[in-house]
Amino acid sequence: MIPFSKSLKLSVIALSGVTFGAHAAQAPKQIDVKAMSKTVENVVVPLPNEIFGALNKLGSVNWREYVRTEKTSNFTERPRIALLLGTVIADGFIAVQAEDAPAVKDIGNRVLNLSKFIGVGNSIIPHAKAITEAADKRKWESVRQELDRTQNSVQQAMNEVHDEKLSQLVSLGGWLRGTQVLTSVVTKHFSPDGAELLHQPDLLVHFQTQLQGMPEFNVPIIREIQTALGEVRPLVDAPKISPDSVRRINDITTKLDSGIVTRE
Amino acid sequence: MSHLLMNGFTKHSLRIALCLAVIFALPRGAAGTVDDAQSFALQAAEPYVKEGFQVREDYWGGDLGSGEKKAVRQQLFKGNEYWFWLGTEVERAKVSVHIYDSEGKLAEQPDSWEKGHFAAAHVIPKATGSYFIIVAVEESPEERTHWALVYGFR
Repeated sequence: MIPFSKSLKLSVIALSGVTFGAHAAQAPKQIDVKAMSKTVENVVVPLPNEIFGALNKLGSVNWREYVRTEKTSNFTERPRIALLLGTVIADGFIAVQAEDAPAVKDIGNRVLNLSKFIGVGNSIIPHAKAITEAADKRKWESVRQELDRTQNSVQQAMNEVHDEKLSQLVSLGGWLRGTQVLTSVVTKHFSPDGAELLHQPDLLVHFQTQLQGMPEFNVPIIREIQTALGEVRPLVDAPKISPDSVRRINDITTKLDSGIVTRE
Repeated sequence: MSHLLMNGFTKHSLRIALCLAVIFALPRGAAGTVDDAQSFALQAAEPYVKEGFQVREDYWGGDLGSGEKKAVRQQLFKGNEYWFWLGTEVERAKVSVHIYDSEGKLAEQPDSWEKGHFAAAHVIPKATGSYFIIVAVEESPEERTHWALVYGFR
């Protein structure tokens, strides 16, 4: 994978003019999606701030309420570190929403330490530095981009040493923390549009399938997440997601988050 | 002011000339990679960054024969605005990208575009859920053509 930053340096052709005179050929107005036999299996898990951005447009959110500053436990089990790493990166996105520079910098350091614990620290050092610098200058868009790069670099480094399953747990940890915060916000100020942001049944299937392929990770939290996702899936697969469902998902994800960040 | 503009323009032109020289210096039969295709997809995305789109680091990629297509499924959120950019390093290829909702209905905005080995589709989701992004290599001089798809949101 080539990160976006590299591409900027690789600017081969001035593309700003490409759209001039370009138009889309007539595409069929309707297709049979069930007949699409050639489907790419790779799933790009949305970033927490992709959801937070949509949530922000529904009304102002007091993001400071959700910034987590207390230190999390240290673990030795790699699957637990991977889950925690994803959660902490999601905390970074929350701190950016809150425009809380000290919290962002603290989270940058925690991400670096966790990456070192799991053996991919070297790939994160430049990102941690860039996060700190951008937070100092309050360049929030740069911090968001750098957090995405951080997660991507962690996962790439894991994939390179064939730790793809740990890489998947990083995404899952981030998604769980993002969903916990989303449901907290929507529980407090319910709106059908806010609840609709939880309509992610295919992502639930994706995570469930991945967890089924991890029987070797014999840590209780992984099994707890697996069971919990089975409970969440029908709740998010409804045409309208009710306030009760949002509250239930919040209870489930809060319990899981507590299990991810604290030692039993 | 004009000096500054000229300076910027000259530097930009030199950079383009240098890059084009590098491209033409490559062996004509040199096989590209999905990473090369991704570089082109990201170039298509570049002007949109200035408009506030955050381009994801993750991407999809693969290779297709001429006339073949593939579907990518992606979760999109109502309230956001998305662009999907498709690119290939095969400069004489023609590619296309279109977005459909979970019912198979065309969901893209009319300003979606395609030009040679670049294409882009713009969607403002009417509902939160899974969408299908259909990528296609319409024409190509190569037997297999690498493609890469990136997306951005705001």
